[in-house]
Amino acid sequence: MRMNRRDFLKVSAGSSGSLVLALSLPGCASIETGYEEEDGSWRPDAWLELTTGGAVYFTLARVEMGQGTYTGLTTLIAEELEVDPASITPTFAPVAAEYRNPLYKLQLTGGSTSLATSWEPLRQAGAEAREMLILAAARVWGVNHRECTAFEGQVRHPNGADALPYGKLVKLAASEEVRHDVALKPRDQWRYIGKNRGRLDATAKSTGTAEYGIDVELPGMVYAVVTRPPRYGARVKSFNGADIETMPGVLSVIEIERGVAIVASKYWLARKAQQQLIVEWNNDDAVTLSTADVFALYHHAADEDAGERERSDGSFSEAAENAERVVEASYEQPYLAHATLEPMNATAWYRDNAMEVWAPTQAPDLGRIAAARVSDLSPGDVTINTTFLGGGFGRRLTQDYIEEAAAVAYRIRKPVKVIWSREEDTRHDLFRPAMLHRMKASVSGKTVTGWHHQVVGPQVLDWYVRNAAPAQYPWSPKFLYNTLGKVGLLAEGIATPKDISAIEGAIDYPYDIANVEVRHTHTDPGVPITWWRSVGYSHNGFAAETFMDELAHETGADPYEFRRGLIRNQPRHLAVLDKVAAMADWQGGAPSGRARGLALFQSFGTFVAQIIEASIEHGNIVVHKVWCAVDCGQVVNPEIVRDQIEGGIIFGLTAALHGEITLVDGEVQQSNFHDYMLMRNYERPEVLVNIAESSEAPTGIGEPGVPPVFPALGNALFALTGKRQRALPLNAEVG
Amino acid sequence: MALSLTVNGERRTLEVDLDTPLLWVIRDELGLKGTKFGCGAGLCGACTVHLDGQPVRSCSTPVEVAQDKSVTTIEGLGTETKLHPLQKAWVEHGVPQCGYCQSGQIMSAAHLLEHNPSPAREDIVAALSGNLCRCGTYSRIIAAVESVVDGSTSAANRQEGA
Repeated sequence: MRMNRRDFLKVSAGSSGSLVLALSLPGCASIETGYEEEDGSWRPDAWLELTTGGAVYFTLARVEMGQGTYTGLTTLIAEELEVDPASITPTFAPVAAEYRNPLYKLQLTGGSTSLATSWEPLRQAGAEAREMLILAAARVWGVNHRECTAFEGQVRHPNGADALPYGKLVKLAASEEVRHDVALKPRDQWRYIGKNRGRLDATAKSTGTAEYGIDVELPGMVYAVVTRPPRYGARVKSFNGADIETMPGVLSVIEIERGVAIVASKYWLARKAQQQLIVEWNNDDAVTLSTADVFALYHHAADEDAGERERSDGSFSEAAENAERVVEASYEQPYLAHATLEPMNATAWYRDNAMEVWAPTQAPDLGRIAAARVSDLSPGDVTINTTFLGGGFGRRLTQDYIEEAAAVAYRIRKPVKVIWSREEDTRHDLFRPAMLHRMKASVSGKTVTGWHHQVVGPQVLDWYVRNAAPAQYPWSPKFLYNTLGKVGLLAEGIATPKDISAIEGAIDYPYDIANVEVRHTHTDPGVPITWWRSVGYSHNGFAAETFMDELAHETGADPYEFRRGLIRNQPRHLAVLDKVAAMADWQGGAPSGRARGLALFQSFGTFVAQIIEASIEHGNIVVHKVWCAVDCGQVVNPEIVRDQIEGGIIFGLTAALHGEITLVDGEVQQSNFHDYMLMRNYERPEVLVNIAESSEAPTGIGEPGVPPVFPALGNALFALTGKRQRALPLNAEVG
Repeated sequence: MALSLTVNGERRTLEVDLDTPLLWVIRDELGLKGTKFGCGAGLCGACTVHLDGQPVRSCSTPVEVAQDKSVTTIEGLGTETKLHPLQKAWVEHGVPQCGYCQSGQIMSAAHLLEHNPSPAREDIVAALSGNLCRCGTYSRIIAAVESVVDGSTSAANRQEGA
């Protein structure tokens, strides 16, 4: 539907250089479709823009952080539009209702949902635009449109000789009726989906020309660094601002909600001045726990409170009563940082009663809320320009770094870029929660009759809802934001989806055991947390698949045969399990001095089985080989799937071998890559990935490679040493 | 203080504090954004450039050290229309995921190949183990470098001065 021009207040230049108009209702921005005479451009829908010059722009509503949306989603729309994906120019979406992730009712990229939720709508959008172009060409020629075909950016005449390029048709196509019943291309006619055609962003990312948030440059821009409290929740009491303001290059020193910001003409001058800044903190509301206190709290909570029952099949208590024995084990996992290689940063400019923000963000509509909170603006006055992201992994779902830039920009009225140091990025992260798992199984003879999993720890949405709930209702007055946050939590399942971040991967325990009970003891130590590549699955996967290994050992079964016997009714689980066993020749065993471990785990709709071969050399765990069988439904780009799985395995191994954030009196002890280590090239194992052929709808791929790594490697170490790994990171000297 | 250095073949004179890390001069004074800030401590390699032909961590190299010297950044190695063979290999092998570390990876690899045109796998791994990749693209990085070494990247003819 075409809107009246007077309905539009905001006009901003899209990155394509053409104008993108947004509806005036704050937060209800809507993308105008139709033909724009001035630019010679036609927007058939919110995603596509075709120009008379033959250019095709695609608005990418799921950000590119390495996971491949830039290529994958462009491929979907290109397939149906009948153009080469490489001829399309993707642009990053502004905030608009059309670009919301339908699963979250928010414009965010996460949960390995981008491809799954775009699979139908983007192909449909491409098909509808193609059909309108065909109708236009048929009208020009006076032929039956059913006899015309579209191919490589042209409509072909039924005579086989004549053709009209899309550019010549866009104006005419715009006045054709939109048809929503256009059939999608059958699978055997796909030209781009399922083929290896490289990444569309590879050249820009290999020549240094891809623009990340940290690369944004504005006229007259200044720089700011922020000193934040060492203990989360502390407040500024006093600081030596007057001393700092006299330092070279310093323009101002200002207190913001999150700490003290030093604004300077150059980044380095701000950093140098920061070394002289002395802040006294009010620690009344600060976190003062140490890591041991966190786990003591969890154990205490687990003793006191059996937790909310999240799944109950049969009766575990009866099974336990009637069983010969009950096996128990508990598992602990530490806080983990995200360590995106591009540190947190954002650039903001407040002028003319509006704010413009440039940032690498996974959730631009939450970024608007964060900027509105710290200024006199409403979300509709805030424009978020998203860039390439130098890694995301869930970190950039939280908008604290946009909030800081906006707070400073609001005060100084100049364009300002806030850059976090690596040390700040590590210490002031919101972490993958530390968790405790208590597992019990009832066993009679060689049969497991019951499974009991008690998950102990916080849930992420409690921390996230502060900006997420208002983002769902951006027209609501700001004084209601905090209320909305609380209501959002209370009305779980209505305003916000039920938060399963603590129990995902536990409640969907797949094995064929009659009595299964899963409980969540909800306890939050107050340490800031957020999503982290595979979140709940990462800790529940370790607990569940290590305990499965313990039970195999307990019943004297081979870990592969044990799982196989209990998964016969789950064909996709069974298929990847059998596949990985064949790939690694499981029965053949490991070479001398090495051992193998196995894990099978479903997350984000994707089935993954892994076998890891490891040894211990000079007191260090060495990972030699990882075999991985994956079923993620229909594959859009096989190489990107392979990369995401391999990248996920490296991500998991990094955490399994090195990952641990510890607290002493509330202060994070790690700071940079010497004490929060990432896997390096020389540590890299050989990774062999097999992707199942499937015509099922595509499922997630960015995260599912991660969870099985922890148990597969831990189980390998058990096979090697006979000592069970029940805490992460894994320890060569466990005993 | 005035300081002169050559960047990608061009002589530049700047007014800058001499203790400023070379990285921020390259990025913010010269506007070459391809060189990245990752850790500020020489641990991740995202900021790798060549200083008189040697790879250095520009985040922890004071610009004073570069006085009257020659700096090569990723922009000086090749461009989108005239790719260096390594960049070509990076594209053909689809190496980058988030891409943030790749300028540094390529600069480290370029230095290796200048000094050792036929490195063994261990040499490549050793030369690139100072460059972190959070996305885990290591195996593709190795494959891309090896394709340049064995000439299997299309048009792998090495450029002069690269």
